[in-house]
Amino acid sequence: MNTAVLNCLFWLFILVPAFVLWRPSSIMAQDEIIDLLKRQMAQMQATMKEMAGRLEQLEKERASANGKIATVEQSVKTIQSAPSALNPAIGMAIDMTAEHRANAGADFNFRAAEISIAASIDPYARAYAYFTGSKDDFEVEEAAIVTTSLPWNLQARAGRFFADFGRLAKFHPHEYAFVNTPLSLERTVGGESQADGVELSYLFPTPFFLRGTMGGYKKMGAENERIDNTKARAWSRFTYLGRLQTYFDLSDNHSIELGSSLAFTPSVRIPSDPEGGNRTLSGIDLTYRYQPLGSTLYQGFTLAGEFFGNSERLERGAGFRRMFAPAGYVYGEAKINREWAAGFLYDNAPSLASPGKKTIGYSPFITWSLSEFNRLRLQYSYLADNVREDKSERGNQFFLQWTTVLGSHSHGFRTR
Amino acid sequence: MKSFGKKILTTLMLAGVTFGFAGRMEAQPIRVITTTPELADMTKQIGRELVDAESLTRGVEFMHAVPVKPSFVPKLNRANLLAHMGLDLEVSWLPALLETAHNPKISPGQPGNIDCSTGVSVLDVPRSIDRSEGDVHPKGNPHYNLDPLNGKIMARNIAEGLARNYPQHRPVFEKNLAAYLAELDKAIARWQAMAAPLKGVKIVTYHVEWSYFANRFGLQQVGTIELKPGIEPTPNHLISLTQKMQQEKAQLIIFGPQSDRFPRQLASQTGAAVVRLQSNAGGSSETDTYIKFVDFNVRSLLAALKKS
Repeated sequence: MNTAVLNCLFWLFILVPAFVLWRPSSIMAQDEIIDLLKRQMAQMQATMKEMAGRLEQLEKERASANGKIATVEQSVKTIQSAPSALNPAIGMAIDMTAEHRANAGADFNFRAAEISIAASIDPYARAYAYFTGSKDDFEVEEAAIVTTSLPWNLQARAGRFFADFGRLAKFHPHEYAFVNTPLSLERTVGGESQADGVELSYLFPTPFFLRGTMGGYKKMGAENERIDNTKARAWSRFTYLGRLQTYFDLSDNHSIELGSSLAFTPSVRIPSDPEGGNRTLSGIDLTYRYQPLGSTLYQGFTLAGEFFGNSERLERGAGFRRMFAPAGYVYGEAKINREWAAGFLYDNAPSLASPGKKTIGYSPFITWSLSEFNRLRLQYSYLADNVREDKSERGNQFFLQWTTVLGSHSHGFRTR
Repeated sequence: MKSFGKKILTTLMLAGVTFGFAGRMEAQPIRVITTTPELADMTKQIGRELVDAESLTRGVEFMHAVPVKPSFVPKLNRANLLAHMGLDLEVSWLPALLETAHNPKISPGQPGNIDCSTGVSVLDVPRSIDRSEGDVHPKGNPHYNLDPLNGKIMARNIAEGLARNYPQHRPVFEKNLAAYLAELDKAIARWQAMAAPLKGVKIVTYHVEWSYFANRFGLQQVGTIELKPGIEPTPNHLISLTQKMQQEKAQLIIFGPQSDRFPRQLASQTGAAVVRLQSNAGGSSETDTYIKFVDFNVRSLLAALKKS
């Protein structure tokens, strides 16, 4: 045997057993690798399937979004091309009653059709107006400019507006919880606190809500007819106002709101009383609210009242005398469910000239809100009256009120 | 000499005031007021120690009828930023508060006003805007927060709003956003797996607020208890809804901050299960973050489905 053959045999003896020994472990390793690969493949397939699903979902969303974007773009183009695109928000409230007053008879009372418009003027101010037509007349009830970006928490307002006196005097009558303006408010303030003039309010930088207002007006009170609003007069015969208003959350569901107001007219002169004198009308308003946060749609209770004190020279007998007349009202209203609410109003309204003579009103009422914008209300009032100035303010009275709002309509923060 | 002393004193005082202010500005967190608790939660997650976020609502309110509380006014007055849901969800109360808050930098359109609905694929955009259709939302259904994928859009909008106003902190906001989105993605994958049994389940809802949720998890809406959005049902509507539920074999009745009277009445007539879900985060420790809130809704639905 030559060396080459011996070498071959030597390597055969070494390699064959080595191969035999090595081969099973190699096969086992390969099986494991194949298993691993199979698992990885399965995982990858699952991932790819999930990815494909998500991709499909995304594509669907994108297609839907693209469709919607195209629609919106088209609408935007249409709006932009319309000349009325910058028109203000417009709304209207209609307020009417069917009523029967024992001492005055029956009436279909067209109380108001109130058209409201509001919009920003520029970055510095906005404006709003209410035009009200009723059975008596058509008037600019409010039309005012309000600043939006004065520094130091200040806000100015000018024009014709409801002066910041008390609480209910700033409501338009269709926003009351009951049908009529309380006589106490009507006789002291003169119904709504409508005034031509200017106001400056300041929000105090306190952690709680505290706001102060100062104002100057030609006169205050929509139905205050003792003063002619059309004529110029001395500054001393204008009305000047100061008010402080605050609010506290007693808890998430209970709150208290408190305000005090003072309207001072240095010199009130009427033709029959050339001597004249000042007039001071003061007011305190208090509102308690229970608004359970989780069920404000169905539950709630408001207890609110105002006390007024009027001091002025008024005709009494043959001459004029300074008289102080305290007046006020208080009402409670409870929400029964989403559509129904009921309440009671007590009203104590003296004659300003003879405070001993009073009209006391007791008025239970129930309200059915078919929707946020459509409301029916039934109210009974009994007025115990010894003022004897107006027979319609006496005895038993029944009201069925229907109030609706259409279009954009918001009286904002003041009538919350 | 006397006047020199005065000058020195004045300079020192001025410097003190300046540094005092600078120190205060450095230390003061960014005050973010949000309209809902989930937006406050996301703002805290993204802004961390740089922000002080507070929600005006507690999460239990019906968002279309939140009381206009004067106590919200000082909060809005002092806010550096306002994050809101948009799509007119807060239209009945937020504009009135903003008018009174004397804070032009958070007014609509200003950089400090963060509209979290930007970029959301809006559902239920009305074909006609008329109140005969109830209290319609002209811009579409504003309850997009119920779809967790929209939660990612809300978080991105908040991060972008923070960075737009405080660009010096952008890297921090972006890093925190990425971490939050990763957490949310994990939760979304979990919910999608969990919610598999909900696919194809027919539901009736009280108000039309569950479209986004139904869309994400494959639920089919058969009808609403309300006659139209914001309008309570008439007896006739309830009768026809009962018939429809029986025909369609609706399994679940979903409601939120509304009364359970009509849902229970329908359930007794049709055998469907009633489930009260949360429309917003907040309200309880089970739902005090956005992730816990979506989790609560998915779990509550699954539990109700088992009962039906």
